[in-house]
Amino acid sequence: MNKFRIEITKGEEIRYISHLDYATLIERAICRSGLPAAYSEGFNPHMKIAFASALAVGVTSDAEYMDIELVQPVCQPEFFDRLKESLPEGTKLLRAKEFEEKHKALMAEVDLAGYEIKVPLHGDLSEASEAVERYNNEAEVFYKRVTPKKMREIEVKQYMKSDIQLQGNDDILILHMQVTITSSGSIKPGEILEILKDSFGMPIEPMEALINRQTLSGGGKPLIDLV
Amino acid sequence: MVKLEPAVLQAVSKPARYTGNEWNATKKDHAKVDCTFALALPDVYEVGMSNLGIKILYEILNKREDTAAERVFAPWIDMEAKMREQDIPLFSLETFTEIKNFDLIGFSLQYEMIYTNMLNMLDLAHIPLWAKDRSDTDTFVVGGGPCVYNTEPIGDFFDFFIIGEGEEVIGEVAAAFCAWKRENRIGGRNGFLQRVAEIHGIYVPSFYEPVYDETGLFKEIKPINAHAKKMIYKRVVKDMDTVDFVEKPVVPYIDIVHDRIMLELFRGCSRGCRFCQAGIAYRPVRERTENRLKDLARKLINTTGYDEISLTSLSSADYSCLGPFVDDLMDEFKDKKVSFSLPSLRIDSFSIDLAHKLQKTRKSGLTFAPEAGTQRLRDVINKGVTEENLITAASAAFRQGWKSVKLYFMIGLPTESDEDVIGIARLAQRVVDLYKEVKGRRGAKVTVSVACFVPKAYTPFQWFSQNSLEEFERKQQLLKEHIHDRSIQFNYHDAHLSYLEGAIARGDRRLAKVIHQAWQDGAKFDGWSDQFKYDIWIKAFEKCGIDPAFYNRRERTVTESLPWEHTSPGVNKEFLLREYHHAVRGELTEDCRHGKCSACGICPNLDVKVVDWGKKNE
Repeated sequence: MNKFRIEITKGEEIRYISHLDYATLIERAICRSGLPAAYSEGFNPHMKIAFASALAVGVTSDAEYMDIELVQPVCQPEFFDRLKESLPEGTKLLRAKEFEEKHKALMAEVDLAGYEIKVPLHGDLSEASEAVERYNNEAEVFYKRVTPKKMREIEVKQYMKSDIQLQGNDDILILHMQVTITSSGSIKPGEILEILKDSFGMPIEPMEALINRQTLSGGGKPLIDLV
Repeated sequence: MVKLEPAVLQAVSKPARYTGNEWNATKKDHAKVDCTFALALPDVYEVGMSNLGIKILYEILNKREDTAAERVFAPWIDMEAKMREQDIPLFSLETFTEIKNFDLIGFSLQYEMIYTNMLNMLDLAHIPLWAKDRSDTDTFVVGGGPCVYNTEPIGDFFDFFIIGEGEEVIGEVAAAFCAWKRENRIGGRNGFLQRVAEIHGIYVPSFYEPVYDETGLFKEIKPINAHAKKMIYKRVVKDMDTVDFVEKPVVPYIDIVHDRIMLELFRGCSRGCRFCQAGIAYRPVRERTENRLKDLARKLINTTGYDEISLTSLSSADYSCLGPFVDDLMDEFKDKKVSFSLPSLRIDSFSIDLAHKLQKTRKSGLTFAPEAGTQRLRDVINKGVTEENLITAASAAFRQGWKSVKLYFMIGLPTESDEDVIGIARLAQRVVDLYKEVKGRRGAKVTVSVACFVPKAYTPFQWFSQNSLEEFERKQQLLKEHIHDRSIQFNYHDAHLSYLEGAIARGDRRLAKVIHQAWQDGAKFDGWSDQFKYDIWIKAFEKCGIDPAFYNRRERTVTESLPWEHTSPGVNKEFLLREYHHAVRGELTEDCRHGKCSACGICPNLDVKVVDWGKKNE
């Protein structure tokens, strides 16, 4: 049995689709490619694809990873070419690597995500840097996550691998942040923007932000280099 | 080009409705084509993208070198608010071009209560709503779809209508536009309209003038332009095998209503249910061959990546070679994990066996449409289904493991008595009891869904007085009182919506101002129960001094001229009248596909024939 790990983008063209829609898009592309995908058993078979970490609606990514299982061996160049030509706009296949069947699941390997955020500035640059600095210096920051079902208070700083880096000019800010992904949870970059605005007075509108996931890694290495 | 800011898209529900870029979407450089055609369905993306007609026309138009076709749907309330607030005009999903920069916009009109959305879209596009207000530089507004068998209530908003099936005529319209443009738009706006008016199946409302008598009754429609034909017959495709079908449909990124391949087995249904407009509008039955369908199925699986094919038609189980055809398909696509579904089931055990075979997961539920509660009334509507048919079918379903059955009915049918209404409850109870008989224990779930009957143009019931609101509600109540079993779930439609639909469905040109008034006062997405505002509509009727009862409640005499008789599906009025009399006497009419011809007139009038491959192979 053959398994491939792929590195692929979620581009501007499909920024606003959900993780579930993204997964469906990949499945349909594999169907179109004619690659011999493996399916689960049972009444309602589904394609055997595993993802590393869900990406929110409105967030793009330079590097998403997924493991795809096939029922017959296909050589790497053929796999790469056939999948590439079946993918829609906004999904660029960067790398594909064949790997041993008995390998840790992607979900268990991923531990860090790097984000770049571009957001218009509605105030002074100094206000923004001061807000980021105060955020970086706090030991604990709490955020109330409200979902349709429940409300939960989360301590956010435990998920910050390092300080938020801020660049920018009077019009637009560029933030870089490294967020850890743990088995018990994580924090979304959009949520951090809300905190920066609401609790630290950063003069931004989180709705205007363009968020891009730049890296997704495990043990300091891109996930594709772990196989 | 319209650019949508993240602050807009992140603030609305389901932003991917507005961002396009889907697989198989066709983007062309507008500078390199002569004709740009926006294809619109005046409902949200998920509904519009599920429409097969739009998919077919999109592909046919885009096959032409000289034409670019793009899609546009109605923005949901939240997006509309953003667009109005930030002055974002309505745009297309392929190249984000402003709709008013298209040469033509074609609206697919699926049902009457979507007309306010159509006006709302024109308004968002900054295209004048009334055809008479459009100048030489404005987009041509075209209508098509099932509503064209009474275009009059919306006639004043449209430059022209395409009556009937669009596959062939849409290309003729595009070609006429290109020719007119090459000839330096000779004659201006009217020049083009005169040119299309010559095309078979095209109706230009402004070339006609309605005449009413002193009592306000419609008398006739008078052609006032030399290019206006007296009668406009529907376009009809003679050979479904050679006509273009969808081979590369746009595959959406988000879940839509019908998120699967739609393979149209055949067009038309000649079972002859007397309430059904589609039964007349799409006659005669024309099947595709098995070979053509298999070829299309293969192509569609490869071009879309879908894993489900819906075998669509008005009555799919009537496809003459369905059994062996389904076996072949399932066999061929076994390894690709493709599943198949039938959207409409006949009430017989053949259908149940087929549904059982196709079932891929747990037994979710089966839907049957007896339409009426007693045999007498089912005979009136020529449903051709007996209680025994239903019992046999339901027994087969229960034996195969189904537990829940949905039954569709209508109230307000001609000649209906309280006994017929109570008959619905009795029939549902019989199905519940049947489960116990078959399985030896309780456990059935029967859902009874009851719609309010709306008489439509070009049906044998087109003269009939629709029930009043009070009568509909009394019957709903009566039915509710007769349902005692907790295994029966009773759903019914909002009578107010059906009442208004009844007024518009058989309306005339005077209704345009009511529709316009209702839109102006905030009516939109009327077909969405959470958005429908009856008060706005009733006040709009009042403001315009028009009584809806004149259109929906009034029993018409058979000698009265009807406002829709010049855009015709080809049926003879004598046939409809004959059927009306048969109905009142409870006499059945055979399906002309299997029995004798009932002389509806469509085949000779339009020079077409029934195509039934089962019959040909006999």
